[in-house]
Amino acid sequence: MKTAANGRTGGRRPWYRRLTEPGVLVWLILAVLIVFCISASPLFIQAENLRNVFLTQPIGLGLASLGQAIVVISGGIDLSIGSVISLLSSLAAGLYRAAPGIHPVLMALVLVALGAAAGSVNGLIVVGLRVPPFMATLATMSLFQGAVLFYAPRTIGGIPASYRFISDGQIAGVPFSIILFVLVIAACLCLMKGNRMGRHIYAVGSDPFVSQISGIPVRRVQFLAYLICGVLIGIAAMFMTARFGGGGPKVGVGYELDSITAVVIGGVSLAGGAGSLLGTFAGVLIIGVFYNIMNLLSVNAYLQIVLKGVVLIIAVSFYAKRRV
Amino acid sequence: MESADTVLRLEGITKRFPGVKALDGVSLEFRRGEVHGLVGENGAGKSTLMKILSGVYHADSGRIFLNGAEVTFRGPHEAQEAGISIIFQEFSLIRGFTVAENVFLNREPVRLLGHLDARAARERTRALLDEIGIELDVDRKADELSVVQQQVVEIVKALSVTAPVLIMDEPSAALTDKELRKLFEIIRTLAAKGVTVIYISHMLEEVFEIADRVTVLKDGRVMGTRPVRELTRDELVRMMVGRTIEDYFPPRGGEQGPVLLEVRGLSRRGSLSAISLELHAGEILGVAGMVGSGRNLLARCILGLEPYDGGEIIVKGRGWPPRSFHDAMAAGFGYITDDRKAQGILGPMSIQENVTIASLGSYLSVGFLHRGRENADARRQMELLGIKGTGVGQAVQTLSGGNQQKVLIARWLLRQPDIFVISEPTRGIDVGAKAEIYRIMREVTGAGKAILMISSELPEVIGMSDRILVMRAGSIAGMIDQRAGQASEEQIMSLAVGHEYSIHQGGAP
Repeated sequence: MKTAANGRTGGRRPWYRRLTEPGVLVWLILAVLIVFCISASPLFIQAENLRNVFLTQPIGLGLASLGQAIVVISGGIDLSIGSVISLLSSLAAGLYRAAPGIHPVLMALVLVALGAAAGSVNGLIVVGLRVPPFMATLATMSLFQGAVLFYAPRTIGGIPASYRFISDGQIAGVPFSIILFVLVIAACLCLMKGNRMGRHIYAVGSDPFVSQISGIPVRRVQFLAYLICGVLIGIAAMFMTARFGGGGPKVGVGYELDSITAVVIGGVSLAGGAGSLLGTFAGVLIIGVFYNIMNLLSVNAYLQIVLKGVVLIIAVSFYAKRRV
Repeated sequence: MESADTVLRLEGITKRFPGVKALDGVSLEFRRGEVHGLVGENGAGKSTLMKILSGVYHADSGRIFLNGAEVTFRGPHEAQEAGISIIFQEFSLIRGFTVAENVFLNREPVRLLGHLDARAARERTRALLDEIGIELDVDRKADELSVVQQQVVEIVKALSVTAPVLIMDEPSAALTDKELRKLFEIIRTLAAKGVTVIYISHMLEEVFEIADRVTVLKDGRVMGTRPVRELTRDELVRMMVGRTIEDYFPPRGGEQGPVLLEVRGLSRRGSLSAISLELHAGEILGVAGMVGSGRNLLARCILGLEPYDGGEIIVKGRGWPPRSFHDAMAAGFGYITDDRKAQGILGPMSIQENVTIASLGSYLSVGFLHRGRENADARRQMELLGIKGTGVGQAVQTLSGGNQQKVLIARWLLRQPDIFVISEPTRGIDVGAKAEIYRIMREVTGAGKAILMISSELPEVIGMSDRILVMRAGSIAGMIDQRAGQASEEQIMSLAVGHEYSIHQGGAP
């Protein structure tokens, strides 16, 4: 005989209730925003603009935000993302200057490896030295930004065309950057949703103590989140170096805050343990569309920054109510 | 002495916490395929011992042998890898994860490259639920489950492990009788397969029914390990509580004043039923009962910190529906929780700031704090209560537990509350400071105020209370008036665990 353990059994939420879940809601917000853009400016719907907003622009921030999302889900934060991208792009340009013949594939691998190294530095400071993530990555933000300014105060150009295939090349008519991004986001989705490691990252971000007594090596998982983030930042730097055709201290400016904005708009809890990567990507698109429509409507550049702050407050307060 | 089938052996395990020796040279051995009951009062050291066995805590000294080889666990994952699995008393579920995800947390069935096999996890969870005959949707999230359902998940989680040693810390707390039978069946099956089950419970009847041998812990020491067959219930209770009450309790107060607080039929679905009590001026009413009996919930309902469904609370003759703790403070309540660190002191702040924090309004003049008056009051309180420190500027977190508690009492005394609710007044405090806290409590009631004291320490309940309210499973199990004669620990324990629970259900000897 079966005993129903108190109360209703069964019971997935009906589909319309799921619309209010942050990871779903963000796509609805994006849709509303797009409808607004189409009605507000005839320029928005033009093919060139759409390609720019949805295919070209979101890739760099998209890659960086995936890394940010994974760290935030694990219960941390990474403020050093922009500095690391700037540093890596400068190093890449410097390397090309020193050894012009270097193979683009090797260069790409070097950048990914350097990104992983930067992520490991963050991870070691947080996990090994037990410095709170906010302070640890605030410090490395300064460290990496200082390093790039010391190494190359100005932009270094001269990235060869062979390397720029990463941003400009096409395979069978499809931009290589899109293929790269789709592969990366697919790999991240597999990791976070389908893989044991991802499950542990969610668990650790959700409740470190419960994870610990369940036998999850909490500190190792936290370190791995920073390492994975570093790899993604390496890929982002690899792409952006190609796109700018050079490196310098300004390449990654604003990426730490934009990535956090995307993650939060995308419904990832800053407290850790909840949120989705696809939602984060929708957040990236919202930021891109937002900047684009502001430009199309010729809104003053400084006022845009003010409005971005307003939008962020509205988004976060909205989720804060949802979550209770 | 080690017999051939000893699986796990402890030797001289000692663990100190600031101010307390939680475990004092504990030596024990557990055999293959036995159900080993572990009993003792609250605070006897059961949970600390289990946390050491499962790698959450490290022993200060002592050794652990698993299958004859010495082991050290640097963390729970090492204990699990070695084959010790545990169901903790506190729920250890990840709120946003589903039932199946929680059951297989850290033991997720995987395919190639760590790819999760979600279907296998769900099917195996379903099979385990079927095995214990409980219906539960494996896709429900943990934070949508009732307390009972969460407990079921905990049990299923432990069952899914095929570890040679399985520790269950109060697994039955929220189960119905029928579910408990199922649990026992499962435990017997596991034991028959050679699993060593360590069963921690304060329900003695359960221990009698399920355990082969039982070990009694008291004040961090092993009082003895005996085969259950050779024990009677009375003997076991005596092993658990038998001690003399130290004579550091001040004499009881003389006369009682008018009723300050009256509770009539207070109820909350599933957790409190029809609680009625009266608290008089000049009286200490002790509330005893096991963890989970609703002692603290009752206090929190009275204080407006938790909602309740039915009943009345009357403060100083006026019906008073407490909407918030702010209301409670205004009505003359003071409250000291059982968690001094998290819900009491403001650690990094000074003694002065801690003492005056609840009365800041009275130090304001034209919007500014009058630091001089604040300082004078803090100094006076420090002297009055004998708080030992370098001065009112000392950070409270650097004080001993006893002095921290005095700071909290000082904080409330400054507000002159009429009714003091104190939970575990001397938890984690050394003996000397205990006596002083007791003296202060008596002074408070001597000044015509009332104290509702919730305590897990029976000697304290008996030594301090004018009357004792014993709770069990959310209702009043008994009221003992000590002015007619002192209660015994056995008397309170029997009420707290309940006599009506039949020992002979289910085929125990």
